[in-house]
Amino acid sequence: MDFTLSEDQQMLMTAFEGLLSRYREAPHGVHGYTCYSEAFQQELRDSGFLEITDQPGFGLLEAAMLIEAAASCPVSVEAASSMMIGPLVRDGAGPVALGWQVGRPVRYLGQASTLCLFEGDDVLVCARDECDLAPVDGVAAYPLARLVSVPSGARRIRAGEAAAIRRRVLLGIAAEAAGLMRGALENTVQYVKEREQFGQPLGHFQGIQHRLAEDMVMVRACRSLAFRAAFEDCDRQAALACLYAQDAMRKVIHDCHQFSGAMGLTLEFPLHLWTYRLKVLQGEAGGRAAQARSVSRATWPQHQTAADKHIIEEGVA
Amino acid sequence: MEFGWTSDQEALRGKLQAFLDASLPADWETIASLSPGSQAVTDFSREFCPQLAEAGMLCSHWPEEHGGSDASAWDHFIIGELLWGAGEPRGPQYYNVNWIGPTILAYGTEEQKAQHLARMREGNVVWCQGFSEPSGGSDLAAIRTRAVRQPGGDGRYLVNGQKIWTSYARLAEFCFLVVKTGDARRDVSVFLLPMDRPGITVRPIDSVVGDGDLHEVFFDDVEVFEAERLGPEGKGWEVIRYSLDFERVGIPRYALALRTLHRAVAELQREGSFIAEAEQDAALALARCEAARMLVYETVDKRMRERPDTGSASMARYAVVCAERQVADFVLDWTPHLFTSDDAPMVATHHKRAIAAGLAAGAAEIQLNLVARDVLGLGV
Ligand SMILES: Cc1cc2nc3c(=O)[nH]c(=O)nc-3n(C[C@H](O)[C@H](O)[C@H](O)COP(=O)(O)OP(=O)(O)OC[C@H]3O[C@@H](n4cnc5c(N)ncnc54)[C@H](O)[C@@H]3O)c2cc1C
Repeated sequence: MDFTLSEDQQMLMTAFEGLLSRYREAPHGVHGYTCYSEAFQQELRDSGFLEITDQPGFGLLEAAMLIEAAASCPVSVEAASSMMIGPLVRDGAGPVALGWQVGRPVRYLGQASTLCLFEGDDVLVCARDECDLAPVDGVAAYPLARLVSVPSGARRIRAGEAAAIRRRVLLGIAAEAAGLMRGALENTVQYVKEREQFGQPLGHFQGIQHRLAEDMVMVRACRSLAFRAAFEDCDRQAALACLYAQDAMRKVIHDCHQFSGAMGLTLEFPLHLWTYRLKVLQGEAGGRAAQARSVSRATWPQHQTAADKHIIEEGVA
Repeated sequence: MEFGWTSDQEALRGKLQAFLDASLPADWETIASLSPGSQAVTDFSREFCPQLAEAGMLCSHWPEEHGGSDASAWDHFIIGELLWGAGEPRGPQYYNVNWIGPTILAYGTEEQKAQHLARMREGNVVWCQGFSEPSGGSDLAAIRTRAVRQPGGDGRYLVNGQKIWTSYARLAEFCFLVVKTGDARRDVSVFLLPMDRPGITVRPIDSVVGDGDLHEVFFDDVEVFEAERLGPEGKGWEVIRYSLDFERVGIPRYALALRTLHRAVAELQREGSFIAEAEQDAALALARCEAARMLVYETVDKRMRERPDTGSASMARYAVVCAERQVADFVLDWTPHLFTSDDAPMVATHHKRAIAAGLAAGAAEIQLNLVARDVLGLGV
């Protein structure tokens, strides 16, 4: 148990921060709903960071650390799936998109070279080029496209092997959510230090301090749970980290918007670039209900009642 | 950064578990539910702690010259985690090894170390903590109990005033006592006071947290001596802060919360009523406990490296309070009969301890104040 970065980890993070530093601020002026940068994605690909898990001495923990750091930037980039499951499924060099149901919007689908579609316990993998997609017009801060159809010849990965993919997806969501929450919270803390009302900075009011302090406790816990789960690469811990993150973000998103006032709802203020990604992650991979069920089944395996069986048969995910 | 345990640490867990299996009596859970300050648990601790010391697991994290084995803070913490989960068979003596001993190690004179650490590592001495007063709870600087230096140059003081909420006081032999020694707000000093001094009166206070946990302690012209003062006169604030950094995460409360959660789920499974909604609540409670665990671990890790503690103990404390509450609510929501009946002693034990989690060792809201100030930089 050691919470300090090793020398190698320190070097890795310093190098990565060098890359991120150009994307730590959203471009000046009014943003769109999303702030995706092709250049950022390209740089990330060329830098070799996406293949972190192939590097000797590094693994999923370091991937989670990089994913968390990248997500704390207002500019979005697909890192989580590329790093976590890219090595297991990737066909081309580009990002990996995760689909949960045909007909629904998928993050980074337009940018991806590979699609993973979760179908029951299986995963279908295909080249993105072989899928049909349609544009989506919405307020989410991820680039999204609708998955219209997948090719009939998509590679089917069966339950056993697919479980590893699913586990790593949860690790990616947990780490990304931790970084997004950190970004949103840091932005909000800065805002309440500067904005004055009633003759003092908002951050002097205890009602605000306490809620932001609670959020900080959760954000730190999210990060450690995500990192530990990545280190252990275990189903239960991955679901637990993801559950905690998807639960915590409900309060963090709300508080950050609340304390940023109307300013926080404008497109010139970058808050939505974190929170409107979090809102997409809140229900990803089945959301809290699915994660809670996985945690529960892995921790307390016995006995299901009739009511319980009914829900399993209906399939909630 | 890594999250594994060494084989030595795993072995320590195994060794302690085997020790517990051999040394806890069959009715231990019932005894434990009486609370750490009760006569029964205190008596038991006087049998248990010497055995634990004999097995090298009472204060192994102390330096060798003071009877420890220079073991890491992790070893001590692993031991504490298992023991708290087991209902804390060290009774009130966990105080000694968690924070009083370490504070004496840091600030004590050689005589104080020799006198007090020896008793603590034998596992046969009970201390209490005299901080809170009617006028000073969260605002500790508002205490009024005062030690006045007597003329004559013999280093004698007289203490007058009152403490309240003092756990373990009735059976304690010593008090880690904070008093005013001057008029400035933080002009306080710490004394290591024998509780059998004339002029001390202890009155138990009945409460929902169990027997022996809350008392009033009155001081009426009680003599204390310079040699009993811990640290310089008027510099007690620093000593207190040092001790609180240890105390705040001294108790791995999530360990008993987790055990209680498992007990409640087992009950639901036995009844065939562990339905989906209960599963979700149970998983969320579990996640809160694990979140608390990680923040506590991070604090332990920092402390071990002796890095300054910027609010991490307060963050951990707050996470622990949330976890305790979520588990207590799980029991009340889904297995209310475990709360109301008298045949689930560990659940009762948990409830008695959890209800105080947000108060003892400093209110939860005070922790949030500290996080806002020290971690977020707000209001400064
Ligand atoms: C089981 C138990 C055992 C204890 N054992 C000991 C012991 O052995 N020795 C000892 O010295 N003390 C002991 N205490 C006392 C404990 O330290 C105090 O209860 C605690 O510091 C809070 O003080 P108080 O109860 O006077 O509450 P108060 O200070 O009156 O505060 C009441 C509530 O008001 C809120 N509040 C107070 N100040 C602020 C603020 N600045 N900002 C926001 N909210 C605030 C908090 O919610 C707080 O809980 C024990 C308490 C309990 C419950």
